[in-house]
Amino acid sequence: MKNEVAILAKDISKTFRISEDSHNTVKHRLFNLFNPPRRKDVPALKITSLEIKKGECIGLIGRNGCGKTTLTKVLAGVYPTDTGFVKIHGSTMLMNLGVGMSHELTARENIYVSGSVLGLKIKEIDKLFDQIVDFAEIQGFLDTKVKFFSSGMMARLAFSIAVNAGADIMFLDEIFAVGDMKFQEKAIKVFESSWIEGKTVILVSHGMETIRRYCNRAAFMKNGQIEFFGETEKAIELYTTDNQ
Amino acid sequence: MILKIVNDWFKRSNKIERLWLLAKIEFKLRYYENKLGLLWALIKPLLDIAIYYVVFQIVLKQNIPAFASYLFIGLILWNFFVESTAGTIQILSVKKYLYEYSNMNKLEIYISTLFSNSIGFFFNLLMFLLFYNFLEKQSIGTSILNIWIIVIFLNLFVLSLGISLILSTIYIVAKDITQIWMAFTSFLFFLSPIFYKLSTFKQALPSFDYGNPIAGIIINARRVMMEKSQPDFRLLVFDIGYAVILLLIGIFFLNRLGSKAAEKL
Repeated sequence: MKNEVAILAKDISKTFRISEDSHNTVKHRLFNLFNPPRRKDVPALKITSLEIKKGECIGLIGRNGCGKTTLTKVLAGVYPTDTGFVKIHGSTMLMNLGVGMSHELTARENIYVSGSVLGLKIKEIDKLFDQIVDFAEIQGFLDTKVKFFSSGMMARLAFSIAVNAGADIMFLDEIFAVGDMKFQEKAIKVFESSWIEGKTVILVSHGMETIRRYCNRAAFMKNGQIEFFGETEKAIELYTTDNQ
Repeated sequence: MILKIVNDWFKRSNKIERLWLLAKIEFKLRYYENKLGLLWALIKPLLDIAIYYVVFQIVLKQNIPAFASYLFIGLILWNFFVESTAGTIQILSVKKYLYEYSNMNKLEIYISTLFSNSIGFFFNLLMFLLFYNFLEKQSIGTSILNIWIIVIFLNLFVLSLGISLILSTIYIVAKDITQIWMAFTSFLFFLSPIFYKLSTFKQALPSFDYGNPIAGIIINARRVMMEKSQPDFRLLVFDIGYAVILLLIGIFFLNRLGSKAAEKL
């Protein structure tokens, strides 16, 4: 394992400001100049620092609402951090059930766009194209707009793009919940093969088996804070006690 | 900061390819979803030309030589401007899928959309050249000075990009910027010499051609395309100045407000 840093986050935090009545227009703002909206601050992520090295597979565990998704989004550079800074070396990709595809584009176009966003050249995507389609099991629907896909098809396509094209740093948010049993088996096989070698992976999961199998370090989060970051077994233990 | 962005751009060799791919797909979405396809890009200015021709040449008798071509070049520049500003206000919302799951530079989304509009513009420019040379009776033909249109178009491109950045990032915090800009553009439309005689325009609004960058761009485009003359350099410098300043403000807005797009939209 190389000792290069993939992500360096120093003193990052994120607070969401939720206002009850949205002041989203100029008109609304003018009329309510002296009547500021009632606001609620939700500290989704409290001040945290961490460093992830290239080629590591990091598990991220914690109960619902503890800030896992917020942390991945900040680390991926999708959300700006309120304090401190994040240094990201390489392209990132966040994968969860929502997946980054345009519903207006066809499967073929989405493969090319996503591949390109992930940093591949058109020629490289040409080479990977059949592989992506086969893996996703969507032959025959290539020129169908993604909005007509079933949620399973869409998730499989996204997963397939992620597996085959892949960014330098991958954030996988509950991806094993995708597809039928056969597809899940295939997904796990990919994980066990050489795919993750050389890639930095941050794996968010509630499946402790998965975390235990693939992660060399894990972080346990509670109430927007990383309570523990280190040995996988220890993190899992903390998580299990927290759930009781 | 700008240097860093430019550097970041060329460091990764697939950037240009990606911009082109996104532009092509954008273009296809816009024009090939309907049966008339690319013709739509041409039909709009042609219809506008017909309307203004009837009103200003036949009813109001303005007597501008080669008035159809005069309108043609003015309107295609204007349409590019409107498509690239009013048409991109919601870009961060429409193209959310591109930046929501990765750390892609948002500026690329804007540039690719403007590239796509540029394809439409150059298609129309080609139509203009054909029209001016083969159909226009009062045409004085093409000349090497026509090359200046590229500089003028680049000027318009940067100007539109800057305004687009400003408007679409304001959209994140104020949704009604769409309506405000609509009202503003129709105002600007009547304050640009698109269908007036240039002398009337200059007389009524002295030195306004320096205040309104679109006016300057249209005036210069006509000079190089229809009058076989050099662009008015003072005007050109002014307009490039506007474009650069607005682009800088736009980039500032993108860094400030645009970074919050993923969570606010």
